[in-house]
Amino acid sequence: MRAAVIEELTGPDGLRVRDFPDPVGAHPRAGGQRLLVEVHAASVSFPDLLQSRGEYQISTDPPFVSGGEVAGMVIEAPADSRFAPGDRVAGMTIWGAMAERALALPDYTVKLPDAMDYAHGAALWLNSATAWFAVQRAAVQPGETVLVQGAAGGVGTAALEVLKDRGARSIAVVSSAAKAQVAREMGANDVVRSNGPWLEQVRALTDGRGVEVVLDPVGGDRFTDSLRALDVGGRLVVIGFAGGSIPTVKVNRLLLRNLTVTGIGLDPMDHRFPGTTRRVSEAVVALADRGVLRPRIGARLPLEQGAEALRILERREAVGNIIVDVRA
Amino acid sequence: MRAVVLETLGGPEAARLADISAPEGQHPLGIGGRLLIEVHAAGVSFPDLLRSRGEYQMRPELPFAIGAEAAGIVVEAPADSPFAVGDRVAALTHWGAVAELALAMPQHTLHLPETMSFAQGAALYLNYATAWYALHRVGAQTGETVLVQGAAGGVGSAALEIAQALGLRSVAIVSTEAKAQAARQMGAAEVLRSDGPWLEQVRTLTGGRGVQMVVDPVGGDRFLDSLRALAIGGRLAVVGFTGGSIPELKVNRLLLRNLTVCGVEMVQMDQEEPGTVQMVNAAIQTLADAGQITTLIGPRFTLADAPRALETLARRQAIGKVIVDVRPEA
Repeated sequence: MRAAVIEELTGPDGLRVRDFPDPVGAHPRAGGQRLLVEVHAASVSFPDLLQSRGEYQISTDPPFVSGGEVAGMVIEAPADSRFAPGDRVAGMTIWGAMAERALALPDYTVKLPDAMDYAHGAALWLNSATAWFAVQRAAVQPGETVLVQGAAGGVGTAALEVLKDRGARSIAVVSSAAKAQVAREMGANDVVRSNGPWLEQVRALTDGRGVEVVLDPVGGDRFTDSLRALDVGGRLVVIGFAGGSIPTVKVNRLLLRNLTVTGIGLDPMDHRFPGTTRRVSEAVVALADRGVLRPRIGARLPLEQGAEALRILERREAVGNIIVDVRA
Repeated sequence: MRAVVLETLGGPEAARLADISAPEGQHPLGIGGRLLIEVHAAGVSFPDLLRSRGEYQMRPELPFAIGAEAAGIVVEAPADSPFAVGDRVAALTHWGAVAELALAMPQHTLHLPETMSFAQGAALYLNYATAWYALHRVGAQTGETVLVQGAAGGVGSAALEIAQALGLRSVAIVSTEAKAQAARQMGAAEVLRSDGPWLEQVRTLTGGRGVQMVVDPVGGDRFLDSLRALAIGGRLAVVGFTGGSIPELKVNRLLLRNLTVCGVEMVQMDQEEPGTVQMVNAAIQTLADAGQITTLIGPRFTLADAPRALETLARRQAIGKVIVDVRPEA
């Protein structure tokens, strides 16, 4: 089969599109469950770029097929699974998606709603699952106000959609006018600019009290101001560090104002509490079925340009997911 | 009336036994009118020491009587309050408790059950309300394991007893053998020494997984190991910094292991979520009425000796609540 293969861990330059053996057995992280998918579209995101450099904590030895998310049609499914040959599905592969056939992880796979095409399906799982899990861990209630950092990013836009569906009010923090437009399209109630006086604006928008929840996939220097943006008793969910640097907090900042900071990582949580991922997947598919989730596509390339897909990530150009069409 | 009074902010040495006039009006921080108590026992705590040096922001005009907690008998109560003349009560006063009469704050006063002594009453409110609220904020569930730092201290020892009442398994961290003894007395399921390999021991005690919760009134260098002691999905309550230094947290430590760190301060929270203090009061009252609170009583002083009570706190050697027996029990 044709595949985008990481030959050596030198970044996008180490990727070559060539013939590669069909996947054998089950995905090593699928607990022996073989779920083989005929790939129609793959999605690449930041972890794929890190994997190409050997810098990601979850990876495999080269040569391996790149591509963390997949959408396609089931070819083979375990007998006792929720899936059957012919099902349209989307989900995580962690690696292996940029190929004609890929092994999926059943717990990390959902049936694709009829109304969603494969390209959008490939962009569905990771961001939606992360956003939903973050909202869940923050126990967001209808009527609460939630500040979303990096609101035009993949997790950010999905979070805006999930929050709107939940009846929460969202305030999006974005870094450019173009991203402000994206955040508004995705349902943000208010949009503020990270290069402006956003903390004062957030206070003004909340009658001086601050927000109940912050969802933060960005980290970096803004973190302390995110804490300041919280009302007494507020909760902040740490999702990731797309901003590069990892924030430090002096914990007396949390004490008197009764603030809560929570980290989220789905995979470790599922190890400790099996069934967590399955529940997240069920929530994602329910939201997708109701048309709540509309993943954004930032760039779209054919399989032969698999290396370019990683380079777009490296240049941080795309607003939205980068989709590789395996079967046009 | 007789009271132990500060006329200057000169620290423990400035405290004097004096005759002063009985308190007038109502407690300036009280809600619900004048609640006057005939004090039988008073509790003296770390904030009293800080206040005596002018290092605590919440204090009255000089001169004032020391004593953050009082237990005694109601002398005057507002007509529409849950308290009546003759009731035995335990109260947070912030100051003024080491005196024959003290003003209580109705919103921070509990009924003292007959099964508890006045000394126990003077050791009740502050530590037990803080410890209960900390466990509440981290969502303690029956059967879970909680690690308690500074477990022989005021909040720590209260957390051990409440943990036992709630059906939690507690792991106490203490710094001396005498404190280990106190922690056992307060119901700790396991006791570990902070100067030993406690993190490894916690892992062994929990099948390698770690604890679900940490209650941390200590802070300081141990904080990072407290996070390491948590199981995936674990929760840590930041209650204070008796260890002196304030920990810094790099938040990627929370990310992959799904940890939660939560600051806990009941009175602030009550302003945001009215009813918080009432909820905590009801919980402590229920535990006290059910005989599930014994308190950890430390050194005891007569009213005449009470000026020395602050020095005892300053030396930081006392285990248990420092009590002044204003009217010694028969």
